[in-house]
Amino acid sequence: MSVTLRGGGSAEPTGSVRWRRRFTSEGATAWLFSAPAVLLLVAFMVIPFILAFYFSFTNERLISPRPTEWVGLRNYTRIWEDPVFWTSLGNNIVFSVVVVPLQTAFALLLAMLVNQKLRGVTVFRTIFFMPITVIMAAVSVIWIVLLNPQGLINAFMEIVTFGNFTPDWLGDPQYALIAIMLVSIWASVGFQMVILLAALQDVPVTLYEAARLDGANTWQQFRNVTLPGIRNQLLFVLTITTILSFRLFDQVWIMPDRPGGPLDSTRTLMVDIVDTGVFDGNIGRGSALSVVFLAIVLVITFAQRRLIKQEGDVR
Amino acid sequence: MTHSRTMRRVALLATTALVGSAFAAAPAAAQGDPNVCDGVIDGPVNLSMTIHSGTNPGPEPETVDAFNNGPGAELGVTITMNELGEGAYETSLKSAAAAGEMPDIVDMDGPFLYEFAWAGLVRPIESCFTEEELAAFLPSIIQQGTYLDALYSLGTFDSGLGLWAHRSMLEDVGARIPEGPADAWTVEEFDQVLRDLQAAGYGANGPLDIKWAYGAGEWRSYGFSPMIQSAGGDLIDRSTMASSEGFFNGPEAVGAWTQFQTWVNDGLIDIVAEDDSNVTVGPDGEPNTGDETPLSWVGHWMYPPYNEAFGDDLVNLPLPNFGNGSKTGMGSWNWAASTGPDGVPNTGDEADLDAVAAFIKHVTSAPEIKRFTDANGAVPATQEALAASPLHQPGGIMYIYVENLNNAHTDTSLDQWGAVPRPATPAYGFIRDRFSDAMADIVAGADVQSTLDAAAQAIDQEIEDAGYAD
Repeated sequence: MSVTLRGGGSAEPTGSVRWRRRFTSEGATAWLFSAPAVLLLVAFMVIPFILAFYFSFTNERLISPRPTEWVGLRNYTRIWEDPVFWTSLGNNIVFSVVVVPLQTAFALLLAMLVNQKLRGVTVFRTIFFMPITVIMAAVSVIWIVLLNPQGLINAFMEIVTFGNFTPDWLGDPQYALIAIMLVSIWASVGFQMVILLAALQDVPVTLYEAARLDGANTWQQFRNVTLPGIRNQLLFVLTITTILSFRLFDQVWIMPDRPGGPLDSTRTLMVDIVDTGVFDGNIGRGSALSVVFLAIVLVITFAQRRLIKQEGDVR
Repeated sequence: MTHSRTMRRVALLATTALVGSAFAAAPAAAQGDPNVCDGVIDGPVNLSMTIHSGTNPGPEPETVDAFNNGPGAELGVTITMNELGEGAYETSLKSAAAAGEMPDIVDMDGPFLYEFAWAGLVRPIESCFTEEELAAFLPSIIQQGTYLDALYSLGTFDSGLGLWAHRSMLEDVGARIPEGPADAWTVEEFDQVLRDLQAAGYGANGPLDIKWAYGAGEWRSYGFSPMIQSAGGDLIDRSTMASSEGFFNGPEAVGAWTQFQTWVNDGLIDIVAEDDSNVTVGPDGEPNTGDETPLSWVGHWMYPPYNEAFGDDLVNLPLPNFGNGSKTGMGSWNWAASTGPDGVPNTGDEADLDAVAAFIKHVTSAPEIKRFTDANGAVPATQEALAASPLHQPGGIMYIYVENLNNAHTDTSLDQWGAVPRPATPAYGFIRDRFSDAMADIVAGADVQSTLDAAAQAIDQEIEDAGYAD
């Protein structure tokens, strides 16, 4: 266990100082070691994005007898005028606004539950973490069966609601996004839980002891010791969950009757991009959508990072 | 057309990444013009071929073996076959073309040939066949393979679409059993039959199975555009191929879809079934116990399993008449010659067309047609093979498919029963996806008019942007 009073285990300041020293004295070695990663990043992230940026101003298609031509902002105006784009963006926002706080709070709750020193607690840690080990596509397929109107979930709902509430989860536009939110939280909460669990275990026991001596009750300990102690990890979890939630794709592609359905109620920007770029073969417009998507995610991420830094300064 | 929806989408995620490496290189030592059949195959030729794989293994491997050991060995042509999942098949091929790895011989579903022909990915094959050889095919096969007056492909079989039914259940509710497409149920009769069957307790989740579990894509457009065409609508204005406005979303189409939506809302259509068992065995898992879904709106490919499950109770009925006569779908998978790995015409990487044609002749020969149609129940593609198939002769259970094909027409405003081909436009793929999405939305309760309007507008915009009709 860490002995620093700050807790939180953030080694960032020391790390970056060390990095800077190495950079100047052993620059060549550093570049050599990072070369494979940098090359891959350039090949699979930087170049494709530059290409996408270029294609977004052209009529490029997957197959076409026409030469690639400059079409100016046409792809962007088409997107702006497309109601489906706004629906997708809206779904993305609703999903993030609901899932990010809910999933983070739930992850914290689970982390605190499995942080207790009880016999067999490892079993629960494993159970809560298990969904993470299954790829989302497989999770989606399993949940399609469970959420079938006559599936296991509704058999349960039938009993607990006396048959009053057994919706067609994935077929009803009212419930499809809710069902997908619940599945997403179930499937990925374990990841956040593990990060927060590590953070909780880094909070010095001495602080709790001191708090108890001062007469703090459980809530006060949580409010004044636990939360400040895990603040950095909590903010990290919030940021990463926001980015991941914006990339919502596998579940909404696989689970509804049609990708993003029913009635576009689960359609997200990623679905829009894949539909347009891959299935319609409209590379130009698909690229424009990707550029817009990246811009949105960047703005949100930078806004969050700014927020985190400012709060850090205040502390 | 037989993949379940989820497997299709999962397969897509997995296969699109693998496509690039899936194709064998095709060396071609061409002396003559490789784009014209001159009757000479220039040296030993290795051809790569890609086929779609459905849920059940098809007879293609045997066909290729038969070719490689038979005519291929004689001519010096060897074929290496690749299979790609049906779900992402068309996209995989497009990606292969974009990556310069297009196979020499391509198996493609009828209507997406036109986009490939438009983009120059496939070559005309007319020079390889005599007039006599072409006359041996059903006219529908030639029509399907033709884009802008050039013949690009030939098929081993054509398709048929109708209503498979449990005769005893229809008799139980006193339904009239139509003799053929000419006296198909009117939409009012059909409505009554559905309601009677429902009242009699047939079909746990509605008396009409529509293979909703096939999921988004070709099935929905193939299977249900005949409904709006029978009402007098269509997918697109076929005179210009430039606009769907007034056809896709015209009053005829809106009327048919509104009727369809009513059936869904009234629980007459089974949109819950995850597979075919609702029709073949019902909830108890045993055939012919009376708990099966009585009507199944699907094509010829369900003949083998239905025949096995229903026994003598199986009857094949025409689709209902929504006003302009009972109309049905047509067209199926067919064989085409690519313009080489790069998918660009006249770049010198094309395989010798004589070699490709040798395979197409093999796969459309009578024994091969029999091999395929015995396996899937489809309509044989040549007059000779058709005559040799008792199931497709008068009195045979699939004769209505042949009657429909003989009455094929494209003007849906005519009051005439028969098959209607999918429009020969490179925009078909885009139209199909809008159709499939619109159908899903209508089933989910969307407003019919505004759903179809939005789709028609998107189609017109895409045709303009891509230049499909220029």
